[in-house]
Amino acid sequence: MRLSRALLTVPAAALILALPAVAYADESVQVQLQDLNETGATGTATLTATSGGDLKVMVRSKGMTPNSPHAQHVHGAANGMDFHCPDKSADANGNGYVSTEEGLKMYGDIFISLTTTGDTTKASGLAVDRMPKADAKGNLSYERTIPAADLPKGTVEHLKDLHLVQHGIDANKNGTYDMEALGESTFAKSVGVNGIPAEATDPATCGMVSGAAAGSVPAGGVATGDGSTSGGSPMMMYTVGGIALLGAAGAVVARRRLAVER
Amino acid sequence: MASSPPVRVSIPSLRATAAIVALGLQADGAMQVPDSAADVGWFTKAPTPGALGPAVLAGHVNWKGRRGTFFDLGKLSVGAGITVNRQDGSTAMFTVSKVEQYPKDHFPTDEVYGATDHAALRLITCGGQFDDTTQHYRDNVIVYARLAHAHAA
Repeated sequence: MRLSRALLTVPAAALILALPAVAYADESVQVQLQDLNETGATGTATLTATSGGDLKVMVRSKGMTPNSPHAQHVHGAANGMDFHCPDKSADANGNGYVSTEEGLKMYGDIFISLTTTGDTTKASGLAVDRMPKADAKGNLSYERTIPAADLPKGTVEHLKDLHLVQHGIDANKNGTYDMEALGESTFAKSVGVNGIPAEATDPATCGMVSGAAAGSVPAGGVATGDGSTSGGSPMMMYTVGGIALLGAAGAVVARRRLAVER
Repeated sequence: MASSPPVRVSIPSLRATAAIVALGLQADGAMQVPDSAADVGWFTKAPTPGALGPAVLAGHVNWKGRRGTFFDLGKLSVGAGITVNRQDGSTAMFTVSKVEQYPKDHFPTDEVYGATDHAALRLITCGGQFDDTTQHYRDNVIVYARLAHAHAA
């Protein structure tokens, strides 16, 4: 990384323009999936915006209805709307469960359908045949990279405003989604799909972004110095014993180098 | 704060201020560094300063015979302020929580780049012994800070 002297003398304004055209950083956000309907299901998800604009999604959850598909979506909006995960108070009809319709007001519409293959738009929201299945122990593992072209506008810029919801609960604990427990899903019915149990569409977990990290991690340390001035070891006062002595030696070496070069 | 790239960093207690340039990764996977002693670089593959997560700024301790903007970084004390002006006109003000020095071969990657539950800032420069063989300092000085105040544009 050496620049010509001409480039080094460009004014500060020009250097600011050298910032990437994409105004947002590559980053990875962490989502803690919390139990929403007292099923005991929990999990973590990581959404990573790659430099190419793709979105890598990783979900690990446990305590899900075993051997059953779990519809899962990124909810929210990219227009600054402040959606969040609901608590029990969202249970408007008081049946003891926060349904999808009750939750939607709080967590917003489906933004991305986290299917295992094919379409990832809102249209695939109830495509349970393409949704991940929990294993016999109730563990669910999901990983998919959604290409930039398939992401709704503003996904990467508003990554931290989005959240994740996984659906599918076994309210009567009979090991399957059935009509006996909570009846038919009025949500599914409202979008034209009849005969789906409410258990299949009621949310199991919801998680908001609780942390963020670098999208890519550099290898090793950072080469921020060439030893070309003396005293390049300002940390000496904070270090102890051997390291402080090494620091002092470093300063001497640096000074000697300078003397030789000049 | 929403995401917005940094344009200037100021550390009043060190009387240091610098324009920000963008840093990516080199072919060998290491972070790029600024091409001048004066500029400080923002690592673009991590969050922007003020937004949730760790924002990373790197500057030289010295470069081509000149003292770098981060020459005195290791002298920063806990509680000192760091101000970052952002492209959207807003200002993020951070407070130093700790200052540490690590050998580069034991660089605390997770602590610097890993997930945080708050808007964090890391300032990186070089320290320790200068290795004449590798032409690099053996250590990195790392300042950890967290967002204290945000001023809208």
